Amino acid sequence: MSEPVSTPANERNARDTVTDGGRAAESVALVFDHVSHWYGDVVAVNDISCTVSAGITGLLGPNGAGKSTLLQLAAGLLTPTNGSVRVYGESPTVGPAVYRRVALVPEREALPAVMSARAFVSARAELLGVRDVPFAVERALALVELDTVADRRVGGFSKGMRQRVKLAAALVHEPSLVLLDEPFNGLDPRQRLHMMRLLEDRAAAGTAVLLSSHILEEIEGVASRILVMLAGRLAASGDYRTLRRLMTDQPHTVRIRSSDDRLLASALMQVPTVIGVEVGAAGLMVRATDYASFAREVAPVAQRSSLTLYEVEATDESLEHVFAYLVAR
Amino acid sequence: MSGNSVPVQLGRVSWIRTALVLMRLSWARTVSPVLLLSMLALVLLPMLFSLVFASRGALSGDPVAFLMQRYDTLVCALATPVIALLLGTSAFSAEAEDGTLLYLVTTTTPRWWIVLVRVLFAALGTALLSAVAVWGAGIIATGLHDPQGVTRAFTAASAFGGAAYGALFTALALLTRRALVAGLVYVLFWEGILSTTFPAIHYLSVRQWMLAVAGALTDANEKAITRGPSVRASLIGATVLVVWAIVAGARSLRQPRISRIGT
Repeated sequence: MSEPVSTPANERNARDTVTDGGRAAESVALVFDHVSHWYGDVVAVNDISCTVSAGITGLLGPNGAGKSTLLQLAAGLLTPTNGSVRVYGESPTVGPAVYRRVALVPEREALPAVMSARAFVSARAELLGVRDVPFAVERALALVELDTVADRRVGGFSKGMRQRVKLAAALVHEPSLVLLDEPFNGLDPRQRLHMMRLLEDRAAAGTAVLLSSHILEEIEGVASRILVMLAGRLAASGDYRTLRRLMTDQPHTVRIRSSDDRLLASALMQVPTVIGVEVGAAGLMVRATDYASFAREVAPVAQRSSLTLYEVEATDESLEHVFAYLVAR
Repeated sequence: MSGNSVPVQLGRVSWIRTALVLMRLSWARTVSPVLLLSMLALVLLPMLFSLVFASRGALSGDPVAFLMQRYDTLVCALATPVIALLLGTSAFSAEAEDGTLLYLVTTTTPRWWIVLVRVLFAALGTALLSAVAVWGAGIIATGLHDPQGVTRAFTAASAFGGAAYGALFTALALLTRRALVAGLVYVLFWEGILSTTFPAIHYLSVRQWMLAVAGALTDANEKAITRGPSVRASLIGATVLVVWAIVAGARSLRQPRISRIGT
């Protein structure tokens, strides 16, 4: 199911609801309220308002879009030039106590090369005030499947292993908001799948995960909700199908298999939103200007023509299309 | 976490355990062959001068005057500040450069404590290595009898200077991108030339503070230790410097200067 599309107005309403109610505030981990951040004369984040709740939220955008800046703002490492950031209702810049609940996994893979994975994760646990450090460290290392090599120096680790050390160091105290900057970089497909499952498990347990990426398939595969950033602005937010439907000024292509594709093609040409049909080996390809209207009409049209629909599939609903469209817009 | 429902318990951070962790991280980010060789050379330099002095026997002159001069120029003006510079800037500069400073500042450990432990690391390392240089040079030049308590006085002075220099350079590493260069310029020009040339600068020179402390602890009456500020002024100056370094460093760590953490 698609979630409603977020616009600046309804993001604001959601935020108001959140800040007004105590329990509701707990369910929303992160609130950006008209946040802008400038580096000198360059605006990195421009008037962004959105919320992040439990579950996995993808932060999508090309390099230089402002994703890392937004994550640093969320982690309290930068102060907004304008607007405000709230983590569980409080400013993340107030003090280090916020890091009991927040963890940031940076994009850069650098780690102290001479330390073992266990020593590094233990150091983080000690600095976070974890009571049973050996237990927490062992569990975090096992979670990222590094427990068998935990005593080796991280200087000899592959890029993927370093990513997992970073993740173990971030998850060692079980934060309820995890910010990940390009977490899938350097991971092979198996490791990527493992990390996706791991994040999904965390999200299912109530953790809010905000992960950035410029690779569309990564986010599409794991995020239940997506924020698209372009040139510092929030271009859109919602799930990717919903975002796709925002693009009403671009034709949508739908592939249909039915009991008689040719007959259905001629019937669909009478539908106002259909601007083209093509019958091929893969089925009937229909181009429509408004996906929602078309989706409502296709079944009645088929019924009136006494046709059976076997399959109706939107072919261009991948994030690649969403992203390409939003970049070009 | 998945697979185990027992939650991780968080409490207050332990001062001692976090200090040990921060020391270990400092050690991991500081120690390298080049740095160790540089510090070894600085420690050996006063000893080499003492070897030359001892090899000439009675021709070398007054051992107290010799030691005072060498301690001033080779320890207070060179070994102690440069060792403190290397130990004070290496860890924070490397962490800011490669972004791993994030792993320190995104913890619940107070930032002032992180800075204080880093200052302690630099101060203790500097004091230890300076003491080796001072005692090595002293024993080679005069044997174990330490005439007029000069060696003991400069051991205490170098420990005092190690704390002041350590604080200064630790803060510098957090406040500037070119801490090593800025620190070297400071050591060579401010401490090496200006502080000895202009009496007004004596009150703002860690080297002169060290000489004041040494002067108060020895019976010797050389010009180098009698021309500078009083011990009281030196102690006040060093205290202000250390407090400023911790406060400024902690403020800087609230939003640290990190080269690049992502795109």
